[in-house]
Amino acid sequence: MNSTVKNLNFRTVFDAAADAMLLTENTGHIVLANPTAQQLLGYSADEMKGLAIEMLIAPRYRKQYRYYQRLFLNRPVKRSMSVGNELIALNRDGKEILLDISLSPIKTGQQLFILILFTIANRRLDTEDALRSSEERLRLAKQAAGLGIFDYDFKRNIIYWDRQMRKLWGKHSEKTISYEEFVAAIHPEDREARQAAIDKAMDPNSNGEFKAQYRIINPINGVERWISARGRVYFEAGYPHRLIGVTRDVTEQRNIQKKLQVHRNETENILKQQVAACTASAIAHELNQPLAAISAYSEVVLHALQNDSFSADNLKRALEGCVAQAQRAGRSLHELLAFLQKGELMTERSNLTDVIHGALSIVYNDGYGRFHPILHLQQNLPAVQCNRTQIQKVLVNLFRNAIEAMRNIDFPILTITTTVQTVNDKDVAVVIVQDNGPGFDQVVAKRIFEPFFTTKPSGIGMGLSISRALIEDNGGQLWVDSDAKTGAKFHFTLPFGP
Amino acid sequence: MQEPTVFIVDDDAAVRDSLTLMIEQAGMHVQSFENAKTFLNAYQPNFFGCVIIDVKMPGMDGLQLQEELAWRKILLPVIFLTGHGDIPMSVRAIKGGAIDFLTKPVIREKLLICVRAAFTEAKKRLSDATQNREITTCLTKLTRREREVMLLAVQGHSNKEIGSYLGISYRTVEIHKSKIMQKTGANNLLDLARIARESELSE
Repeated sequence: MNSTVKNLNFRTVFDAAADAMLLTENTGHIVLANPTAQQLLGYSADEMKGLAIEMLIAPRYRKQYRYYQRLFLNRPVKRSMSVGNELIALNRDGKEILLDISLSPIKTGQQLFILILFTIANRRLDTEDALRSSEERLRLAKQAAGLGIFDYDFKRNIIYWDRQMRKLWGKHSEKTISYEEFVAAIHPEDREARQAAIDKAMDPNSNGEFKAQYRIINPINGVERWISARGRVYFEAGYPHRLIGVTRDVTEQRNIQKKLQVHRNETENILKQQVAACTASAIAHELNQPLAAISAYSEVVLHALQNDSFSADNLKRALEGCVAQAQRAGRSLHELLAFLQKGELMTERSNLTDVIHGALSIVYNDGYGRFHPILHLQQNLPAVQCNRTQIQKVLVNLFRNAIEAMRNIDFPILTITTTVQTVNDKDVAVVIVQDNGPGFDQVVAKRIFEPFFTTKPSGIGMGLSISRALIEDNGGQLWVDSDAKTGAKFHFTLPFGP
Repeated sequence: MQEPTVFIVDDDAAVRDSLTLMIEQAGMHVQSFENAKTFLNAYQPNFFGCVIIDVKMPGMDGLQLQEELAWRKILLPVIFLTGHGDIPMSVRAIKGGAIDFLTKPVIREKLLICVRAAFTEAKKRLSDATQNREITTCLTKLTRREREVMLLAVQGHSNKEIGSYLGISYRTVEIHKSKIMQKTGANNLLDLARIARESELSE
C-alpha cells in the first residue's frame, strides 16, 4: 500500500483532481493546468501553458488582482477557500464565472510555485449580479429623479450623505458631515421651521415622518437652491435613532409657483379694482343727478335774491326741489350702503301685480325699445313680503335685458307670468319673464349670473349678478331656463307675507 | 325773427325741472323732454334755438340722438350734459358737431354763456340755410343754356372761348351773361363764382 502511494506522482494526482487546479510561477504565468481547469475555462492544455493568470480575470478586476498578487508574494502563506477569496474569471468565450479560490505556495529551492485550486460559485454570482443590477437601478433612478440620500445619526450627530447632496452643499469630498456644518448651509430664515419638522418627527408618539422645504446657500458660489426633504425617523427602544430620507432640488418648481402666484395676485387686484371702480361709479351716478338738480335750484334762488326778480311761486318750487333732491340723494346712499353691507332689509307686504305694472311703466317711459307685453298674472295672488324698490329694480333689469335681446325680432313679445308654486312644503310666488329673442346656449346660461359676465358690447355684466343677490336677500331665488329655442326664460320666487 | 328756445332732453325729472327754472329765470324759453324719442316725436321744423342733451340716457343715448339729428338734417346746435366727462366720448361728440360740454352739476354762468353761444350759432345756421335756399332758387330761374354759360364763365373762359365751345356767337354769349347777372343779382364775375360754388355745396 505504501509503495503504491509512493508510486503516485504529483502529476497523476494533479490530473486526477475533481477540482480545477493551476500551477503558476511567481510571475503569474501558468505552468500546468489540470483537465478540470481546462474544461472549466474552456482552454486546451497547450493554450493554457504560459498564459498569464491576469488574462483569465475579468478586466475590471485586474488591477485589484495585481495588488493582491503583490501582497501574496510578499508573504506567501496558504489561503484556503473558506477565507473567502473569490474572483471573477473569464472563460475562453468571454463569459464571466465567479470562482472560489485557494492559494498554496510551493517552494522548491529558489523557485516559488503557486498552486491555485478553484471551484465554480455560479449561483452566488447570479445573486450578486441581481444585487448589483438592483443597486445600479436604484442609482440610476436616484440620478434621474435628482434625489439625494441622507442618513442622520442622532447619537453621533453626523450625517451620512451621497454625492448628489454633497454637490448641493458644495462639499464634494466629505463622506460625512457634522450636523452643525450641515445646518450652516441652510438659509437662516428657514432653519427654525426645518428644526421644528425634525423635532416633530423625533417625537416617539409620532409616526416619525419628516417633511420640510428649505433653502440652502452653496458656500462656494453663493447660489441659493430650494430643497424639498422627506424622510422618516427610526426609533430604537423608544428613542429616536436615525433619520433617513431623500432630498430633491425643487428650485425650478418654486420659481414657477412664485410666478403663478404673482400672476394670480395681479388678476385678483384687477378684479378688485374693477369692483371698486364699478361701486364708485354706481355711487357717483346715484348722487350726481340729485346734486346737479340741487346745485341748479340753489343758484336759481341765489340769483333771485340778488336781483329780486323771480316770483314767489318759482322760488318755492326751487327750494322744494332742493329738499326733495337732497332727500333722494340720502335715500340712494342708504339703499346702496344697505346693499353693499347687507344691512337689515326693509320689507313690506306688496302686491306683486302692482310692482310688475310699475316696472313695466318705467320700461315704457324710458324709450328702451318696442315690445308687446303679454301678461298672465294670477288673480287674487296673496301679498308677497319684499322690498318693493329692489324687486322693481330686478324686474326693470330683466325687462330691459329681454327687450335688448329682441331688438332684431319682427314681433317682440315679452311674456310675464305669475303663479304659485310649492317649494319645500311652502307656497311661494313665482314670476316668469320670457322673451322671444334668440336665447342663449348652455355655456352662457351657466355663466350669466357671474359678476362682470356680459354678452353686450358696452355692458359691465353686473345687472344679473346684482339681481340675483337682491332676490336672494328677499328670500327668493332667481334662475334661468336655457332651453333656448323659445328665447330666454327667467324665473324668480318670493315668499308670501304673513 | 322767432324767439329762440332751449330744448332739454334728460331722463331725470329733477335735473329737467331745475335747469328749466334756471333758464327761464334768465328770460329764455324752455321746453323739456324725458327721452330722445319724445323729443323727436315733438320736433317741428320751426324749432329754433339749441338743444341740451344728457349723454347717458336709457334707450337712445345722447350720442345716438346727435347722430339722429344730423341724419334728419335738424340744424339745432347741440350742448351735451355729462355726469363725468370721459375723453373718448367727448371727442366723438365734438366731432359730431357739438357746441360744448357741460359737466353736472352745471354752473349757471357757464350754462348761460353756452346757451347764448349756441343761439348765435343757431342764427348763423339759419341765415346760411336761408341764403343757400335763395341762391338755389335764383339758380333755378336760369335756362339750361344760361347755366352752361355760367359754368364756363366762372371757370375763367373768355366770351370768345365760350362761344366757340357752345357753337354760338360772341354776342349771344354776352347777352346770356348779362341775363345771368340780372337773375342771380351778382355784381361781378367773382360774385357769380361764389354763388355758383355755394349752390354746389348746398346741393
